[in-house]
Amino acid sequence: MSTTSQKHRDFVGEPMADKPVTALSGIGETLGKKLEENGFDKAYVVLGQFLLLRKDTEMFTDWLKDSIGANSRQASSCAQCLKEWCDAFL
Amino acid sequence: MSLSEKSDEELGSLLSHYGIKHGPIVDSTRHLYERKLEKAMKQASVKTSSDKTYYREEEEEVTYITYQSAATRKRSANMVKRSTEQHGVEGPDADTEAAVQVTYSSTNHTSVRSGEPTGDKSTGSLWKMILVLLPLAVLSAVCYYAYAYIV
Repeated sequence: MSTTSQKHRDFVGEPMADKPVTALSGIGETLGKKLEENGFDKAYVVLGQFLLLRKDTEMFTDWLKDSIGANSRQASSCAQCLKEWCDAFL
Repeated sequence: MSLSEKSDEELGSLLSHYGIKHGPIVDSTRHLYERKLEKAMKQASVKTSSDKTYYREEEEEVTYITYQSAATRKRSANMVKRSTEQHGVEGPDADTEAAVQVTYSSTNHTSVRSGEPTGDKSTGSLWKMILVLLPLAVLSAVCYYAYAYIV
């Protein structure tokens, strides 16, 4: 597989339960704060947005860039993380 | 006429019209879909006629270049064979050369086919096939002569 970070593997390996948004791959403190300001305070709320966008990673990446100013790497990392989580648990 | 004034349903139908697959249009997704539509509308107005014919010509040029390079390589290799007289090595060399030629010809064939779906230039593709087979025949004749020379 391509290089996945430890954070990615930690998130995708188990149900997300009540994990904070900063547990998502690609989402650090800065982006995490911006997400919380927009009302996305838990990882499962971001999952909700991902599902609303029909699990389309491209759309979700655009949304992340548009709403919190994430760069391409961070956004695609988060999208891929959520996609794999959905593939495993949804 | 601004997108933000349209209802959710109107926005949805517009998205479908531009071929954008979309989910439910709610508060969190609305802004994203509006921006996508703006981009799509801009692209639709800027789009000019297709340049497909130009692209096909480029593909044809590419195939010509690869043919010529393969032909020149074969000629230089034949010259090397005659000069060195390394008979023992010629066998595998010929095989690898033939294999290389086969791969060249196969790739060239696929590119030609993708670039020429119409029947207008069928004689052109026929000519290209002859161009491939002729060096192959020449090479096989040279190899035969070389083997005869050994004996």
